[in-house]
Amino acid sequence: MIIAFGFFPVLLFLLCLFLLDSFKLVSVRLLALCLLWGIASAVLSYFVNTAFMDAFGLSDQWLSRYVAPVTEELIKGSLLFLLVARRQVGFMIDAAIYGFAIGTGFALAENTWYYLQLGAGFDVLLAIVRGFGTAIMHGGVVSLFAIILIEGVQREHHMALGGSIGMLVAIVLHSAFNHFIFDPLLMTLLIIIFLPMIFYLVFKYTTQHLQNWLEVEFSNEVDMLRMIRVGQFRETRAGQYLASLKEHFPAETLVDMYCFFSLYLELSIKAKRNMLLKESGFPLIMEPDIKDKLLELKTLRRIIGKSGEMALLPLVRMSHRELWELNQL
Amino acid sequence: MKHTTETRDDHMIVFLDGRLDTTQADAFEKAMTGLLDEGHTKIIFDCEKLNYISSSGLRIFLIMQKKMMGVAGKFTVCSLQPAIKEIFDMSGFTMIFNIQPDLEAALKEE
Repeated sequence: MIIAFGFFPVLLFLLCLFLLDSFKLVSVRLLALCLLWGIASAVLSYFVNTAFMDAFGLSDQWLSRYVAPVTEELIKGSLLFLLVARRQVGFMIDAAIYGFAIGTGFALAENTWYYLQLGAGFDVLLAIVRGFGTAIMHGGVVSLFAIILIEGVQREHHMALGGSIGMLVAIVLHSAFNHFIFDPLLMTLLIIIFLPMIFYLVFKYTTQHLQNWLEVEFSNEVDMLRMIRVGQFRETRAGQYLASLKEHFPAETLVDMYCFFSLYLELSIKAKRNMLLKESGFPLIMEPDIKDKLLELKTLRRIIGKSGEMALLPLVRMSHRELWELNQL
Repeated sequence: MKHTTETRDDHMIVFLDGRLDTTQADAFEKAMTGLLDEGHTKIIFDCEKLNYISSSGLRIFLIMQKKMMGVAGKFTVCSLQPAIKEIFDMSGFTMIFNIQPDLEAALKEE
């Protein structure tokens, strides 16, 4: 029964975050993967930390303050780095939830281990501190890492920069927690008070940002695609810009650039439609030709090359968000 | 955007006039929630005078559709201007909504 204190707070926190995801950005499959990775991270970290202890003769205090925060955060965060690189994470909300899920998995495994190790020594007070404090700290620091990582990527910094800053923040906070500067109960209280506030602000900001992005982009893309379909594209500024590129690109490349732009608009509109459908709880529409069109877009992107893509930047920015969006189809 | 309502038979008809964008969406959504709270189960959006709709507007259409499905009601959209109809076509929303060419057709729909 006591072990429940070690499990439920962090699971409840994760559930609340999941329910706050109004745009349903989080995939349940990936969420489960993150939880499992968190558990695996705890096992891996145990072996790595033990190896460090044995190799360098580290004390428990040194290990928990300076080594474990580094090894554990690096192992936990590696899956997020991969998910962001594969454009399976698009916004701060899903990044934060996936991050928290990894921390949750880690905490569940760690608390189980402590419970089994300590037996009767795992009393109510320890269960509360580990369940409300340590466990939520584990989720919180990975979440912060994920938020900083995705923010860096969206600002078009190199992933390594956002990743390094995020990782540093996670490691410092984890290490500070393990220093027990304050009374463990006080630290637990601080976590319970401040972490939900941080999440609330992040979720509010991101939801507003996402709504604005949808609002502006959807309307612009629909207008542009309409002009293309009625043959009035050349009358638009975008059309004039594309026509001006004929001095720099062979005619066939220009045709491919036009096709790429038009196909991108079509797919982007459908991806945004799916986001709206998901938000409203409707099943997604999967047109039978979507896969072929995505493949065509990929082929066109390869054909026009980096220079073509650069030239199209004023019209289409294939940044992380756009690529993530197409992944939603 | 302005909107007016009219009851005909057992249908609640909402006439939309102007632009349904992010600045109008909240107020319109509240008004529509009020209609749903009154217990109407057959709602028609007459869009003859609707000349612009953004994603915020489409979201309200989706909310209406979802809520009407929840009470086994009927939500119909009619008289879409060509430019607005094209938005529904291009985005594939035509598969989600019951769209009728005019109000008479929408009223006849059972």
